[in-house]
Amino acid sequence: MKRITPFIAGLAVLGASAAFADSDGSAQLAPLGSPPIPADNPMTPEKIALGEMLFFDPILSGNYAMPCSSCHLPDAGWAVQDKISFGYPGTTHWRNSQTIINSAYYGKLFWAGSAGSLEHQARSAARGGVAGNGEDDMMEARLAFVPQYREAFAEVFGDDWPNIRHAYDAIAAYERTLVQTDTPFDNYLRGDEAALTEQQQRGLDVFTGKGNCVTCHNGPMLTNEAYYNLGVPPFDGWEDDPIAQITYRFELYGKGSTEAMYRSTKDDPGLYFRTKQGVDKGKFRVPSLRYTKYTYPYMHNGMLETLRDVVEFYNDGGGENEFSKNKTELMKPLGLSDGEMDDLVAFLDSLSGEEILPEEPELPMMQPFPAALK
Amino acid sequence: MLLRTLVVGALFAGGTAWAQEVVTPLQPLEVNPAQAELGKRLFYDTRLSGDTSLSCSSCHQADKAFTDGEALSQAYTGGAHFRNAPTLANTGYRAAWLHDGKLGTNLNDVTREMITETHLMNMDMRIMQERLKQDPVYIEMFKVAGFGEPSNGGARNALQAFLKTIVSRNAPVDTGEMSAAAQRGRGIFDGKGQCSTCHAGERFTDDQPHNTGVPNNPDIWSDPERHSVFVSYAKFMGVENYMNLREDLGAYVRTHEKATKRTFLTPSLRELTYTAPYMHNGMIATLEDVVDFYDVGGGDDVNKDRILQPLGLKPSEKGDLVAFLQALSGASFETEAYVWPDDSFDYQVIEDWRNVNN
Repeated sequence: MKRITPFIAGLAVLGASAAFADSDGSAQLAPLGSPPIPADNPMTPEKIALGEMLFFDPILSGNYAMPCSSCHLPDAGWAVQDKISFGYPGTTHWRNSQTIINSAYYGKLFWAGSAGSLEHQARSAARGGVAGNGEDDMMEARLAFVPQYREAFAEVFGDDWPNIRHAYDAIAAYERTLVQTDTPFDNYLRGDEAALTEQQQRGLDVFTGKGNCVTCHNGPMLTNEAYYNLGVPPFDGWEDDPIAQITYRFELYGKGSTEAMYRSTKDDPGLYFRTKQGVDKGKFRVPSLRYTKYTYPYMHNGMLETLRDVVEFYNDGGGENEFSKNKTELMKPLGLSDGEMDDLVAFLDSLSGEEILPEEPELPMMQPFPAALK
Repeated sequence: MLLRTLVVGALFAGGTAWAQEVVTPLQPLEVNPAQAELGKRLFYDTRLSGDTSLSCSSCHQADKAFTDGEALSQAYTGGAHFRNAPTLANTGYRAAWLHDGKLGTNLNDVTREMITETHLMNMDMRIMQERLKQDPVYIEMFKVAGFGEPSNGGARNALQAFLKTIVSRNAPVDTGEMSAAAQRGRGIFDGKGQCSTCHAGERFTDDQPHNTGVPNNPDIWSDPERHSVFVSYAKFMGVENYMNLREDLGAYVRTHEKATKRTFLTPSLRELTYTAPYMHNGMIATLEDVVDFYDVGGGDDVNKDRILQPLGLKPSEKGDLVAFLQALSGASFETEAYVWPDDSFDYQVIEDWRNVNN
């Protein structure tokens, strides 16, 4: 188990109480503080620098060609600006790529929460058949052939030879630096009333009031990290893309389905794959709304193209899918006017700051080993 | 033993009615033709590898008796192999596979290992199964083969069926049409050369590991991608001190007994004219060189089999021996029976997807 160091509480209370003492639901909002750092993976500059290289290095994949950054592209919101993430060559993925920015704050990773930590998420992604398709022994062997990695793993982790588990630790440490805590909304909550335009302030009122968004999108990350079925329609690529059809059936099979379920299901069962409870079919984790300016399209399968489309989807009370009997009762038509929807979209824009576009590191290469040590 | 077998081509496919007399060294293995035909298509299909870059035929090419002509074979993208691709001729008669004999069970395990192993085809078979189901040609062929809908088990069975059809045919040694030189060479082979001590039986192998002192191949250690594949293999097999190895330990990886270090299964001598270069690491380029290698008593190794002693062969005897070795090669496998005729390996979208069963 990882012990999480709480950092957030103090700031949250200060900011929120100042701005919204008497506004309904608003006390549930707070500026974003520092991310929690697990006690068993402390941050050091050397570890972060190593993790940065590994994040961009294709060495951690089956074909030496698929780094983390191939599906979490910095200039695409650290995600993929397409409905579904790229898959491993010869495949496609089946869900929308989520941004790395602020992933440090989530309790669980992946759309159905199947990874309990960034460390676990990195390993799953490097190994998954429609993601990195790597195998730990092979990736670990490759790392040993990179002199810079031998030195860095020795320095950071005390490894005689690079240990693949430590590679995931370093990547997670790097990802914990990819945070954005100074959006206009954060600044507003910290007391800078001019940080939001008047329209955005009206949008905030809709967010916390008539729109009822704050019921699930609350806290510093604007998510309660609970799982709901909203009736998002199934990914339409399954209708006409044979490779998407292949991946879809693979996921159904590989994540554990009964024969009947495998034969008849035509949508992503989501949380069901973790709980194996029928009531959890079609449920996905409420995502953070931060950095969404850059992470279009939206929802677990990218079926909504713009934030305006998302707002309209909610205004209509959500949609329909084959698991609609599990659809949350929180989804009701909202009766927002066009102007209110405009305001809400303007507010959502305040949850993203400047685009985070660091210079990518130079990558070290594998080198022949020196002669055998006898 | 000479086996004259009437093989009817129509069994294999195509419907072309042909029949010819084929001489094989061993009783042909019983194979369901529809399954073998399916296996043949699978053998040539790159969709059996993770990134769709390799098929079985990438390293086992029909015109080279199902080898690849390289000293060290290629491997999955991002790596390279540390051994020579062995011929698949008569592979169905083997009791163990891989140069070190690591696979000692059956062809089913061999096909699974080739498809799933990280440095070979790196395929998650659950994805493979769904790929097969996305190709109407396979849906039909699996049905005709009696396997029902496409499945991994069916695919492996079909590949085994195809592999069992890869049998040497019409080698002069079997047809009795050997040259005079080759006939003299046979005398050397069984006598002064002592070759038949290990290269015995219809496949000319005792199927046992031996150390002949074949030199180390430096190209394994100078290429970090190739070396890294070796490291992961040695590590997986539990070889101690694997990071510091600079030699292929052969059967030692499965026995962990010192005496087996650098021992490799005696290869069959059939189809040699198609399968250069030679030895487990491709270190010997020609059959003449191989004969010279044995004539001086093999290479230099503390574990070298004592049976290897300088032979004192005269140049004419060496020439005769090479002629005999050449007579162990039969007809090329680059024929309709062993080559998938087209490269149309396409997926088809499943129409009306929401309303049909997966």
